[in-house]
Amino acid sequence: MRKSFIVVIFLLLILAWMTLYNLVDDWGRLEGGWENLTTFVSESMWPPNWSVIEAQSYPVCEKDIEFFCSVGYLGMIETLKIAFVSTILGFIGALCLSSFAARNLMPMYVALPFRLILSATRSLPSLIWAILFVIVIGFGPLAGVLAMTFYTVGYLGKLQYETFEGMPSDALEVSKAMGLSHATTFTSVVIPETGNHLLSQLMFMFEYNVRHGTVIGIVGAGGIGYYINTYLKFLQYDKVLALLIIIFVVVVLIDLLSLMVRSFVNDEGDVRRPTWLKAMLKVYRNRRSATEE
Amino acid sequence: MKQDKALLVLENLSIGYSGVLASEINARVDPGEVIAVLGPSGIGKTTLVRTIAGLVEPIKGDVELNVEKQGGLGYIPQKLGLVRHASVYHNVNLGARASLPLLKGGSEERRKRVNSALVALGIEEKTTEPVRRLSGGQLRRVATARALAQRPSLLLADEFLSELDHYTVDVVIAAVKELLDTGTSIIMVEHHEENVALLATRVWLIQDEKLLDFSIDEWERIGPGIQLDHRLGGEEE
Repeated sequence: MRKSFIVVIFLLLILAWMTLYNLVDDWGRLEGGWENLTTFVSESMWPPNWSVIEAQSYPVCEKDIEFFCSVGYLGMIETLKIAFVSTILGFIGALCLSSFAARNLMPMYVALPFRLILSATRSLPSLIWAILFVIVIGFGPLAGVLAMTFYTVGYLGKLQYETFEGMPSDALEVSKAMGLSHATTFTSVVIPETGNHLLSQLMFMFEYNVRHGTVIGIVGAGGIGYYINTYLKFLQYDKVLALLIIIFVVVVLIDLLSLMVRSFVNDEGDVRRPTWLKAMLKVYRNRRSATEE
Repeated sequence: MKQDKALLVLENLSIGYSGVLASEINARVDPGEVIAVLGPSGIGKTTLVRTIAGLVEPIKGDVELNVEKQGGLGYIPQKLGLVRHASVYHNVNLGARASLPLLKGGSEERRKRVNSALVALGIEEKTTEPVRRLSGGQLRRVATARALAQRPSLLLADEFLSELDHYTVDVVIAAVKELLDTGTSIIMVEHHEENVALLATRVWLIQDEKLLDFSIDEWERIGPGIQLDHRLGGEEE
């Protein structure tokens, strides 16, 4: 078993190498690539320019703390708002569609059209959705919200119906035998049973939308991407690097938040591990009571 | 004396998945009856119950179920079918919601049914506890409480008394008798003869791909001899 696994991996690697060899016609381009990169980073990007977290010269800042008038803060907050709204709307939309797309909840003739709708929404990347909505309703965050909502519906919908299909069948069978309606089965059996996965997917999607919020901003759909695009145009790569670091920090914070939120609903949450402090206190108390005796 | 309207009629029924497990099954269940389904492991007892519940298509023949579409049929599978990440109350309430849907009102009646079912099974102190934290015996009590709150016309129970200590068996059987008083009929897959004697009014024995139907008196007379045969039986279902 292990031997055949290694052979398969080896064959896949050879196949990937052959495909790459077929794709690339000029390997000479690799020459001097590392040197170019180090020159670019050291001369144009490094050190990051932290003026992006200082107040902009226009409009005049009326807040006590300058940071709240900075490009980094305003851009990031707008991206977070776009990501938040589109994740919530997309999550609810996806739940409605995926409850009809799961084969263990609906017969195939009902599930198939809903799967097609979800595939269609997912097949366009959020960037293309953003370009479409910028054309339809113009520049600004609304285009961003709509673009990411549509993409979220398609992406989360698929994750959700696959989660529903993977849940244990016994509770569903009882619901079916008892004659519970589709709505009751979905809200009272399916959602509680898959809640942890759904929450995890929701947090993942929020993080994904924050990262992609930067990309769709580049085509004019609002958020921090708008500023990144502006700095790229003026070759201010040190400011771009500072904004990328801000995005990285926010994504890490969202990941930590996700970990915390999920701990409330998973099985591990039932068992509280003793902290080092509590363990030390216990040893101290045991010793003290032993000496007193 | 059988009533005209049977709750369940099985006509020339053949059951199984890829192959036939039992065929030419002709039987009926009248209101108030308790049927114990017996037979060796892998003979088709669970498949018969699942076919009656509409979860498995019959290979041949008909299952005529004369119960209300919503909440008329109760089901306790071997794995109990509880919502693990929800509370005890939520699970028991699902039974009440099956026969008294939210849209039709009756929230007070639902609450009453759930509370009395929790008390009958002795789990009223576990109301808010998530089901995943309960022991095996407590889980079976919750599944029985769900059926009690539902008050179905026909309850299908698959080995719901197995792996229980004597005290819990007594509690569950007392609750089931309460359910019988409300007019429910039961088809129970069972291995323990002492439980059959406590509840059953008829016995269905599946043997050699056939279903043999006995009254409880007949079974008590000839059952022990037949039991010796089927104890030799096959693999897990």
